[in-house]
Amino acid sequence: MLRNVLTIFFKEFKEIIRDRKTLIFMLVLPTVAVPLLISLMTEFMLKAEKKAQQETLRYAVFGEDNLPDLADAFAADSSFERVILKDRSEINDAIADERIKFGLIIPEGANDKMTEGTQCQVKLYYNNASVVSRVKKRASELIQNYSEEIRNKRLAGIGVTGILQRDELLNPITIEDIGTADQRELIGERLGGFLPYFFIIFSFLGALYPAIDLGAGEKERGTLETLLLTPVPRLHLVFGKFLVVFTTGVVSSVLSLVGMAGYLYTKGQKVQGVMGEILSSISASDLALVGSMLIPTAAIFAALLLSISIYAKSFKEAQSYATPFNFLCIIPAVAAMIPGVELNWKTAMIPITNVSLAIKELIKGTMDYQLLVVILTSTTILAAGLMIFSTKWFERESVLFRE
Amino acid sequence: MIQVNAIGKKFKIKKTKKTQTELDPREQDGYFHAVRDVSFTCPDGSILGLLGPNGAGKTTVLRMLSTALKPTSGSASINGIDIVRDSLEVRRQIGFLSGATGLYGRLTPREMIYYYGQLHGMTREACRSELESLSSIMHMGSFLDRRNDNLSAGMKQKVSIARTLIHDPQVIVFDEPTTGLDVEAAEAIIRLIEDCKARKKTVLFSTHHMHEVERLCDSVVLIHHGEVAFNGTVADMKRTANETHLDKAFLNLIGKEARRAA
Repeated sequence: MLRNVLTIFFKEFKEIIRDRKTLIFMLVLPTVAVPLLISLMTEFMLKAEKKAQQETLRYAVFGEDNLPDLADAFAADSSFERVILKDRSEINDAIADERIKFGLIIPEGANDKMTEGTQCQVKLYYNNASVVSRVKKRASELIQNYSEEIRNKRLAGIGVTGILQRDELLNPITIEDIGTADQRELIGERLGGFLPYFFIIFSFLGALYPAIDLGAGEKERGTLETLLLTPVPRLHLVFGKFLVVFTTGVVSSVLSLVGMAGYLYTKGQKVQGVMGEILSSISASDLALVGSMLIPTAAIFAALLLSISIYAKSFKEAQSYATPFNFLCIIPAVAAMIPGVELNWKTAMIPITNVSLAIKELIKGTMDYQLLVVILTSTTILAAGLMIFSTKWFERESVLFRE
Repeated sequence: MIQVNAIGKKFKIKKTKKTQTELDPREQDGYFHAVRDVSFTCPDGSILGLLGPNGAGKTTVLRMLSTALKPTSGSASINGIDIVRDSLEVRRQIGFLSGATGLYGRLTPREMIYYYGQLHGMTREACRSELESLSSIMHMGSFLDRRNDNLSAGMKQKVSIARTLIHDPQVIVFDEPTTGLDVEAAEAIIRLIEDCKARKKTVLFSTHHMHEVERLCDSVVLIHHGEVAFNGTVADMKRTANETHLDKAFLNLIGKEARRAA
């Protein structure tokens, strides 16, 4: 068996690597795409963060006479620029078309309430849909400072002057915040959901073209029939072809991993801020474990795509059959990004999703290694089942000679 | 020797196709009887021509004999080996060439022929020596290491022939091998078939070209609507049809068969 399988493997592999399209999909795209995407994302996030922090915020204020000190505090700060609106009902529209970043409404009688020692409520309008927005933080900070100023005056009025005394009066009980999740776990939760998607998609894309070429491609070129007439059992034929598709899938996804590793060790260390912390928390052994998870995934895709390809009459038909399967593979991979979806004995049984979740756990550094064994076993069984199915199809006349 | 005994092949008709093929006489009980009760013998070292109009069932017969399809009735053997019970051994003994056969475009002829040789259990050394001899007969030396995609139709045909013969099969099956070829490439195939006969090989081939039949065949089997319409020598065929030209005899026999079926 080995001789036949190796003969088929080496011949098919030689043919595959002589094709420029496959080489681009298998080697170039995964190696370049992941670092490029991470690099672009980092760049974008840093720029957005910087811009949000530094830009001058245009604002509108109504009722400034109700509490002139607060209105003056905004006017005195050069990072805010006042815009005059005709009416307060204009605020929402002005925010929507970006004439202002926020609107402030100071209620009537605010000044009196400050003098009386009671409380007033100012209204802050801003666009809370923007993820990187710092509008609320920056505007609230200024209001908060003013509020503290008044509070301190009031406390001084009743004889509370020392900072410690003031603090003890206002906060009789304090909480020491001890989060058990380390920084890596927090970061892994964010990044771990998103990275498996790339590795899995490249495992699929890398296997896609070779699978189509090795099944439907043989039918279309008219080489399948002569191949079937060689004295080689069908299982050997399928296994040889499967190994090629599997190898291309593995190579492709591992290269996307290598691309990321390369990025981490060259540029990742230099990245500042949250992204920098995320990138520098992933070690080489983490990446190696992630790589091991991609092997059974590639086996599933290889067997599945080969079955589709053998069934299809032509290259084009195989491509159109593969498209819905593409979604079928992406959806379980994306499931790992849904908040609340965790790796447990149940999710460890869901193909692709289990691998996606395991990669997330590995990046977080919280992997339960018993579950890792379950995932590897279940995925291998599924891949073997799909390969047997593939072989059965290779034996069916109605599939091989579909007209 | 090829021995075929009342071989038959039926395919289940898909529901969607039923209405389209309703009038075909070969459709019965939800099945399409592509071949029915076909029997013939092709002795060692002889050439048998399989004739018939398009869709008659020639390719199905050849596919069954070459083990690509399994017969649904009857039996057949190649050199005494049953095509169903020991299909792998049958494949070792036959070479199959069809006009529709393609090549692996990104491989060179040498790589592709070695590949098939190795799949037939040959060592690389055996492949090399056999290819050397085939190459000198067919003058392939100049293009053995060029990619198949870059070869002319005639060169490709020679590669296909070498691929078919690399394991030195005793029985060779050709399915319309000259269809779509120019005169020169077709002549190469004809000469190959003559050469096979000279080397005492058993040859079964299907064709639409009656001049090839007259030139090559020791006997012919005419298939029409999946059944044998005539089985005998070329001379017998002309005599039976009462025609001097084989083309006319062919048409005559098909016409007779068609009327009988009606």
